[in-house]
Amino acid sequence: MAQVVPSPTPVMDPHTDEDQGLDRPWQVIVWNDPVNTMSYVVYVLRKLFGYNETKATELMLQVHYEGRAIVADGTRERAEVDCYRLHSHGLWATMEQ
Amino acid sequence: MQRRFKTSRTGIDVDLTADEKVFLGELVDLLVAVPADGDDPASQRLTVPVYLDDPDSNNEWWRLMGEELASARDADREIFRRVTIDPGRSLLTVEEADAFLRVLNEGRLAVGARFGVEVEEDHDTLRDDQREILDYLGWLLEELTTELTKAL
Repeated sequence: MAQVVPSPTPVMDPHTDEDQGLDRPWQVIVWNDPVNTMSYVVYVLRKLFGYNETKATELMLQVHYEGRAIVADGTRERAEVDCYRLHSHGLWATMEQ
Repeated sequence: MQRRFKTSRTGIDVDLTADEKVFLGELVDLLVAVPADGDDPASQRLTVPVYLDDPDSNNEWWRLMGEELASARDADREIFRRVTIDPGRSLLTVEEADAFLRVLNEGRLAVGARFGVEVEEDHDTLRDDQREILDYLGWLLEELTTELTKAL
């Protein structure tokens, strides 16, 4: 292992906790619902996000059995739009970082 | 049972009985009458929070997006209502059929909420007439979802 030589002048780490918080993507989460049908949820996920049937079904089953699934991530603005699109289709979507 | 939605070369053919159109017309009336906020379970289901732990961001999201969402829902309901008052069969484009599907689902969510369905097990305690309504709407939803999936 190489010897670590302390630097004589402190260097500010540009990646502070705050910055990391800003950089972290926002996650869009779909929650389980006792009324929405499974095939409808699969259809909406395929239509809105372009997932193939296998991926959309996998996410739908995760929502059904685990109560929630992350269906997309990205910037805050993107996540807000995705939540809008999901709500307009009757799916309960939330976003968190 | 005869299929109500069928994909054709020119769109999606909708073939509902007169009784079904009356019932679905009442469903859209119910949706239009759902208050924008308050304790009504249907209203609460259609305005679920987007930010769970941040009321300020949630209020801001609904302030900015809520009106647009309401307008989009109104436009969907217009298409839905047009089918219910059409005396014959209706031919919808894929986009119109998609709007019809959203209203079917929205109506089922609203009715389910008013029936007190909050968890899966609540389906077991529904009255027969309540279960029939949800099953019927679910059947239409499944049929139309199948047709629209072909267009993906």
